[in-house]
Amino acid sequence: MSIQEIKNQEITSSQGADSAIEMITIIVDGFEVSVPKGTLVIRAAEKLGIQIPRFCDHPLLDPVGACRQCLVDIEINGRKFPKPQASCTIPVEPGMVVNTQLTSPVAEKAQKGVMELLLINHPLDCPVCDKGGECPLQNQAMSNGGGESRYEGVKRTFEKPINISSQVLLDRERCILCARCTRFSEQIAGDPFITLNERGALQQVGIYEKEPFQSYFSGNTVQICPVGALTGASYRFRARPFDLVSTPSACEHCASGCDMRVDVRRGKTLRRLAGDDSTVNEEWSCDKGRWAFKYEHRDRLTSPLIRNESGELVEASWPEALAHAAHGLSINRAAVLVGGRSTIEDAYGYSKFARIALNTNDIDFRSRTSSDEERNFLAALLLGKSVTYLDIDKADQVILLGFEPEEESPIIFLRIFKQVRKRGLKVSALAPFTSRGNEKLKATVIKNVGNEVEDISKFALTNRSVILVGERLAEVSGALTAALKLAEQSGAKLAWIPRRAGERGALEAGAIGNLLPGARQVADPKARQDIERAWGSGPLPTQTGLSTDQILDALHKGEIEALLVGGVDPGDISASAIDGLRKAFVVSLEIRNSAMSEVADVVLPVAAVVEKSGSFLDWQGRARKFEAAVTNSLHRSDVRILSILADEIGRPINLGTVEKAAKELASFGDGSSDQKSALASLSADQAKIKEPGKNQAILTSWRLLLDNGSLQEHEPNLAGTAHPCVAVISDDRANRLGVVDGDLIKISNSNGEIILPLQIGDIDPRAIWIPRNSENSRPLLALKSATHSLVSVVKA
Amino acid sequence: MNNESNSNELEPLNRAERESHEVIDNGPSGFASQLKGFWVTFRTMFKKVNTVQYPEVKEATAPRFHGRHQLNRHPDGLEKCIGCELCAWACPADAIYVEGADNSEGERFSPGERYGKVYQINYLRCVFCGLCIEACPTRALTMTNEYELADDQRQKLIFEKEDLLAPLRAGMLLPPHPMYPDADDQTYYRGEVPGASPLQENIAEPNK
Amino acid sequence: MGVEEKLPSGFLLTTVEDLANYMRSNSLWPATFGLACCAIEMMAVGGGRYDLARFGMEVFRASPRQADLMIVAGRVSNKMAPVLRQIYDQMAEPKWVLSMGACASSGGMFNNYAIVQGVDHVVPVDIYLPGCPPRPEMLMDAILKLHDQIKNTKLGVNREEVVREVEAAAISAIPTHQMKGLLA
Repeated sequence: MSIQEIKNQEITSSQGADSAIEMITIIVDGFEVSVPKGTLVIRAAEKLGIQIPRFCDHPLLDPVGACRQCLVDIEINGRKFPKPQASCTIPVEPGMVVNTQLTSPVAEKAQKGVMELLLINHPLDCPVCDKGGECPLQNQAMSNGGGESRYEGVKRTFEKPINISSQVLLDRERCILCARCTRFSEQIAGDPFITLNERGALQQVGIYEKEPFQSYFSGNTVQICPVGALTGASYRFRARPFDLVSTPSACEHCASGCDMRVDVRRGKTLRRLAGDDSTVNEEWSCDKGRWAFKYEHRDRLTSPLIRNESGELVEASWPEALAHAAHGLSINRAAVLVGGRSTIEDAYGYSKFARIALNTNDIDFRSRTSSDEERNFLAALLLGKSVTYLDIDKADQVILLGFEPEEESPIIFLRIFKQVRKRGLKVSALAPFTSRGNEKLKATVIKNVGNEVEDISKFALTNRSVILVGERLAEVSGALTAALKLAEQSGAKLAWIPRRAGERGALEAGAIGNLLPGARQVADPKARQDIERAWGSGPLPTQTGLSTDQILDALHKGEIEALLVGGVDPGDISASAIDGLRKAFVVSLEIRNSAMSEVADVVLPVAAVVEKSGSFLDWQGRARKFEAAVTNSLHRSDVRILSILADEIGRPINLGTVEKAAKELASFGDGSSDQKSALASLSADQAKIKEPGKNQAILTSWRLLLDNGSLQEHEPNLAGTAHPCVAVISDDRANRLGVVDGDLIKISNSNGEIILPLQIGDIDPRAIWIPRNSENSRPLLALKSATHSLVSVVKA
Repeated sequence: MNNESNSNELEPLNRAERESHEVIDNGPSGFASQLKGFWVTFRTMFKKVNTVQYPEVKEATAPRFHGRHQLNRHPDGLEKCIGCELCAWACPADAIYVEGADNSEGERFSPGERYGKVYQINYLRCVFCGLCIEACPTRALTMTNEYELADDQRQKLIFEKEDLLAPLRAGMLLPPHPMYPDADDQTYYRGEVPGASPLQENIAEPNK
Repeated sequence: MGVEEKLPSGFLLTTVEDLANYMRSNSLWPATFGLACCAIEMMAVGGGRYDLARFGMEVFRASPRQADLMIVAGRVSNKMAPVLRQIYDQMAEPKWVLSMGACASSGGMFNNYAIVQGVDHVVPVDIYLPGCPPRPEMLMDAILKLHDQIKNTKLGVNREEVVREVEAAAISAIPTHQMKGLLA
């Protein structure tokens, strides 16, 4: 059994823990049904397969009884309600007898009447409405409505459509005032950006005048709108439901692991919807997952490219490019860098390719700032039990270390927010400032930049607490070790949450220098033998491989002359990474032209997520499998191309298909059981940062959810709702500089400068925070440092 | 085979037949019957010729004959098609392909918000059943009586929007151009727009 | 196709072409290939009212050796496809194929496992005729268009040139799997 399967089992077995729930038996349409206490009548009926029409009712939102479509006849112990009641607001009670529209003429008449009223002002523009064909109103008007309207007046009209944000459009005349969108924004997203204005006949959905609809979750309102009142700007008028071929898929944007549904028309993705997985994303997704998919179609590479003698990339045939790549990789000492977006099968392909075809352990999936400490931490982490979303649901306290859930893993944010709202879950965060997300989570923010290690050890936790560690914590030396120790001492659950979807999978596939597939230590001879036997290969390299930084260093020094990269942006690692790459023979597997293709000697086009099958391992370690949504693509998965390339080199890795790679990887099982040694080498010392001078500050940063990321290109509607790109400074510093909100300030060091409008926030007075990868703010390139270094801050 | 027993067996039947039907000789036999046959041929030579002289003389089809489709226009030249794809939905042969798009103030092709940006009918698939015509909510799609459609290439038999659009008649303007002054899509659907007004023409001019 | 293929370049060809094409176009003999409802209309064309005899084409030959135009009238099932191909192969050169009706041209509304999705998967088609079924005038129109096509056929070296041009166009054409309309 593979690691993922074991973990998936743990996840499912932990669900059935809640027992001893009181059951209540009621009668619906003459049938008995037993449901847990507190269940709503509409859901008890659903359990019997009796469909009561509804609009406002949504299982994940609080009941509101706004649309009145679900009226049924109810009597309790022989006492009848004088009028039909909304079944979506009434919980079951002992002795309850419910008669729905199927058995009660009163309920049926009431429902028909409500439907007629709803349709009075609803325009008959179904032919041009995006919802037409998949519209609950349309369907239920057919199934439960009267055949004809008695209304002969003029329907109410409004100006339409209104942009309530750059990506969500509102048609007020279609709205039936179910309040799903407003309840979602308040209860699930925590962004009260949309509300019901006015009363009575004039009631309509509106936005706050001062606060724009800038939520990372606005797309969900489009999906749950039961009519076509809210529509997505990018999908507007692009297709009808019957044009689309839907495929269940997984989101490639972050480690949350959302279930998605991809709707494809003629080989092009037209929209993506959140899938329904109650143990992961429930029914929600973030806007990035929903709308950032245009990269699949624009400036794609269609044929391999080779750099010719005059230094230009020219198109080449596959055999030519593969031969060239194989030659360059086999005559030089080579290393491998894997991007964080690869599926677990692709990462396994890179891992096996490095060990067999290149005979090296110099492979790393962390195409970002990273450390050796992190590598050991990750090896140690794989030993621990996995943490899941359900642990967050049950936690008594959640600690966020180097992790900004709303920006870096939005579905985890929704989970925590749900518990904060429901039962006042205590959240603490170690962060330079109280961000908007932290505010919504009512988090206690410990703002003490530079003393993270000390602060981590101060947390008082129990064994029900959950520590969520972001990948950014690796940027503080000693902090990961401190977190691990905290978890060990208190028994709290510790989870590592990378920002990208592929990192957890790459870790378990062994795409890192110190681990082999199945979480086996490279240094352990027995583990190597296991793998050698499984692969039927000769002796594997014994030396622990170099990390990303070491590989780039070796490229500079000329110790490594060739590099295989798969979807890496050199700008994510460091400003000087690109110079090292220039010196080497680079083979790059990419879906589109990128910064890497500027320095690559051979570029091989590969499939995007929609065009291939595979799986991502989300932060829980749960495999998120997906099938190819575009089935007739000419592009192939990385692992297939690596397999051909290995054949060309003459040391085959025999991974012709994604299925084969998955099967082989699963056969390794979990080899991490008896290797506790990794922890020993960790030390918890933090390098002290010098106290900032008068006009100096300690730089801190993280990436915003919507920024300059290459997977978000070509989607201006999505970019329109990005959080503003501002530098956050303290009140105190603003007074000293004599600036107010919105003024420009200059952040500089000896390497360069960044000029940004400022925002005064609740930040550590010694620190300044800027976005890490936004339009005018790319500190890693401009300042050659992204965090924990001194910069001077002056008025621009 | 025994002849006698055979005739014996047939006997009762023959008798019954003889009793019920008298054999009537109702015409000349031999040479005379041949003459009669040729007389029919001869007589026909003086009848009006039944043959349709097709390429030279084209007989009108029945008025409701299902011929090539046409995308109609409003009296001022704006297209009636709103790109709703209901025709594509109704089509049993999947011969129609439509992509809708937004009308913008600068580029308006139809009244209302939406127009058909791409409209293709694959006449290799089309079975001329007319379900698309029934489905069309704006009477944008109708059928003409034109039937001479044969062609030597598949590509030429996929008709684009330009091939299907009705010609501009007197009083019509070539879209894109704005709506009739003070009119909205409702006015158009009620047929209250008489024809292009000079105001529309002035604005439409730069588009040409 | 015949002796004209062997003639030296350009020599006499225009006149020979005209003559040969005139004779070919006016002596087409169709092979019977009625497969479904379209065949009824095809028979009607042979009858007195539409009278294909006006074009010298009334004799539908049951023997492929004596026919040079195959009118594929009706949906071709996968089982009929090899038969159809064999009949086509047995016809003497020069020969033409007319795909009559939606089903023969593309499978029509029968987009299923049993029906060949266009007879051009099996034999080269010279003219496609839409309709379900096409009325007799439509068939005659297609036949007349085919006559025109035959009259303008190039022979010998001219033909080779045309073949080269057609091939070059086919190579440079966008493959159908890349035709995405305006979807982006």
